[in-house]
Amino acid sequence: MTQERINSLGVFLIFIFPYLLYSQSDTSIYDGLNLDAVEVKTEALGSVISLKDPKLKTIISRAELKKAACCNLSESFETNPSIDVSITDAVTGTKQIQLFGLAGKYAQIQVEMTPLVRGLLANSGLSYIPGAWIHSIQLTKGIGSVSNGFESMTGQINVELLKPEDIIDDIVIKNSAKIRVNNYINQGGRIETNLIYGKQISNKWSLGILGHASGRSLIVDNNKDGFADNPIGYQLNGMVRARYFGQNGWEGLFTIHALEDQKIGGQISKNLNFPISSNPWQSRLQQNRFSISSKTGWVNPKNPNQSIGVILHGYRQSMIGNMGSSDDAINQKELSAHQIGGVSQFLFRQDWNKISHTGSIGVFYDNYDINFNAGGYLQGYNRPFVEQNIGISSEWTWTPNEFLTLVAGGRFDWHSIILNSKTRVPFSPRIHARIAPNDKNVFRLVFGEGFRMALPITEEWGRVASNREIRWDQYGSVSGGDQLSLEESTNAGISYTGNFIFNYMPGSITANIHGTWFNEAVIHDYWSNRMRYIYPDLTTSNESEFAMISQSAGISSNYKLDKKTEIRLAYRFQNVVVRNQIHGLDPVSILMPAAFVAKHRALINLSRNFMKSWNLDMTVQFHGKQPIPSTHPRAPGLSGEIISYGQAYNLLNFQIRKNTKNGDFYLGVENALNFQQLNPIDGVVNINGDLLTPSNPTFTENFDATRIWGPIFGRMIYFGLNYKLIN
Amino acid sequence: MKYFILCFSLLLTTNAFAQKKVELRFITDGVCGMCENRIEKTLLNLRGVWTAEWDLSTHETFVVYNTKKITENKIHEALSDVGHDQICYCTKSKILAFEESYSNINPCCRYRDRNVIEAHK
Repeated sequence: MTQERINSLGVFLIFIFPYLLYSQSDTSIYDGLNLDAVEVKTEALGSVISLKDPKLKTIISRAELKKAACCNLSESFETNPSIDVSITDAVTGTKQIQLFGLAGKYAQIQVEMTPLVRGLLANSGLSYIPGAWIHSIQLTKGIGSVSNGFESMTGQINVELLKPEDIIDDIVIKNSAKIRVNNYINQGGRIETNLIYGKQISNKWSLGILGHASGRSLIVDNNKDGFADNPIGYQLNGMVRARYFGQNGWEGLFTIHALEDQKIGGQISKNLNFPISSNPWQSRLQQNRFSISSKTGWVNPKNPNQSIGVILHGYRQSMIGNMGSSDDAINQKELSAHQIGGVSQFLFRQDWNKISHTGSIGVFYDNYDINFNAGGYLQGYNRPFVEQNIGISSEWTWTPNEFLTLVAGGRFDWHSIILNSKTRVPFSPRIHARIAPNDKNVFRLVFGEGFRMALPITEEWGRVASNREIRWDQYGSVSGGDQLSLEESTNAGISYTGNFIFNYMPGSITANIHGTWFNEAVIHDYWSNRMRYIYPDLTTSNESEFAMISQSAGISSNYKLDKKTEIRLAYRFQNVVVRNQIHGLDPVSILMPAAFVAKHRALINLSRNFMKSWNLDMTVQFHGKQPIPSTHPRAPGLSGEIISYGQAYNLLNFQIRKNTKNGDFYLGVENALNFQQLNPIDGVVNINGDLLTPSNPTFTENFDATRIWGPIFGRMIYFGLNYKLIN
Repeated sequence: MKYFILCFSLLLTTNAFAQKKVELRFITDGVCGMCENRIEKTLLNLRGVWTAEWDLSTHETFVVYNTKKITENKIHEALSDVGHDQICYCTKSKILAFEESYSNINPCCRYRDRNVIEAHK
């Protein structure tokens, strides 16, 4: 039947157009034909886990970032099942991320292998990487490579920004230039513009300029508690990059980055009906950064298996903030912190037949001057300090065949602060193994140790916004720069990734179990009533105890339902416990659930292409109930009853996007179900719904803006567009 | 959680009601990655085609389609409309593309030209 049809079609065609029979032999007209440059564009998949890599590494491309309105790096993880994006706090307006239920600061977050979300920018650095600048993100779950430093305790996130060649993205034509513009506006009053410019200057040099300006001037208070739902302010951020591709295997990338950010939050609304004499509770935060970096590399043209890279990076950054009201001086907090530092790294790589070796020598220097002023014990607390480090690392990769990869590495650091410690040997071992029984299934193992130095006030600035009294416990004060601020952990995990084809459509499934055990951690106590203790070292009395334990198991799957629809399903269980002290006559410490960490998380992401140029993306995030700081007078207790929980909730985001030849535009809704946390801030409204002034006794006693576990703003509509201008 | 279950069951039902699919293999002439893009895109844009792949080295096209929505003839017609010659395994018959459609394709993809074939080797 079918055969006949085909026959008849062929005969039919030939019958009607007999000259077709001769067309194949007639090639003379194509003589002297000029072949244009071949342009092969395959659509990059959104996020991919490579089966060849010995680490559980997800590569997130621009296609994935377009699925949500990501204004900055922290929001770009909203469609990612491994990273939690926590809720914005009303005071600083920064979103934090969690990996394995542990704060983002325990993952090493780098921008092209140089630090940005570190030191004084550990709190808000994620919001200083605009989404429109991002080329791709590499997310490693489980401890990362030893060559990049000792700080990847739970994982590693490396962000590649747009380089000049990515912006120009055409075949090199001298003097060709390209401009891309991105605009975004949302119902919350946020306006954002990104300008990206690339130009080929000569055969060897190209230039890229990345600019970002965003701001919010509209004060919105949907829940009528007198506190603005989002801080207002602006951010200016710019980067100039030059790229060099030379002969003889040399290449270089030189970058200047500057940013300035200002935010004002709290009782900033004009119509507060406060007496003129009273001063409202406000928070101000100002951060800036200036950095220069240079990356040069050389690949031996005679032997491509040898290469050398040198990274030089210098920066100056500051964080100046204050919060409170002058009517309540005892609870006013002031911060003025400056950091000047530099990083230099020398990497060399040599490949033999089945073994490759990567060695590195890294030096960093950080000069901190942190001034913190709060009532009570912390009047005028200031201790400048220097943290410097020289580290050498060596990493061996053995690939006997395509089924097995073993990576073993070690790192020794001469760290100016830790070297004085008697107990800690600054050696960080790492082991990665990849076992692939066939080309569709991979098992991975990871084990390693890492450490970092905490800066407990600047890293948790948003969590300081309460009238709880900040206190060090009896083991000593810790503002950073001493041995007590050491945080040290062991991470181990196994994972499985498999690719399958079902119903002719490809899919993949990933399952992982990871654990992180902290020998030392600087812990913020969220459970003691009206106090915010910071415990630098609760495990001194018993070395076998852990300060913090995180256990996490997850399963996620990507599948193409049909040629136009993709779906991602993910579920994760995580159990994080933190050691806290029970203050009494005989102080004891027990493991308590970690605040703001939901035990159960699930995600569904559906994206569908329709009518050729339209895309619909939908994401549902399920957040389980989270333990939140207790207000119970007896907290923390030995029984778990007095822990209070925020309710479980779902967030539904969807977005519709139209692609055109010169760009795209998108319209979306975040939190479409309009879920809002009621009364997110304690002590600012009385029973009748009247706003309280900071001098009111109820306010003074109960004010706490750190118990936020859910969205404050509610449903938010946004619109954005990207377009290309070519000249 | 209820949304999770709801969505999941929705997906299962759509799959359960999926209609009968038929596999089809035939040879399509072409020379490069651009041809591959064109062939696959043309086929995937057809209503009723579930999946389509073209192998550059063997020139084999693999199509899965729904017999209720599209006929085999339509698939061959679509490819010859964008300028690709085809050979069916079953009948050993050759389907030649119209000269106009063939001349519309990018000069680098002119697979009937020996020079072009040589240039891609």
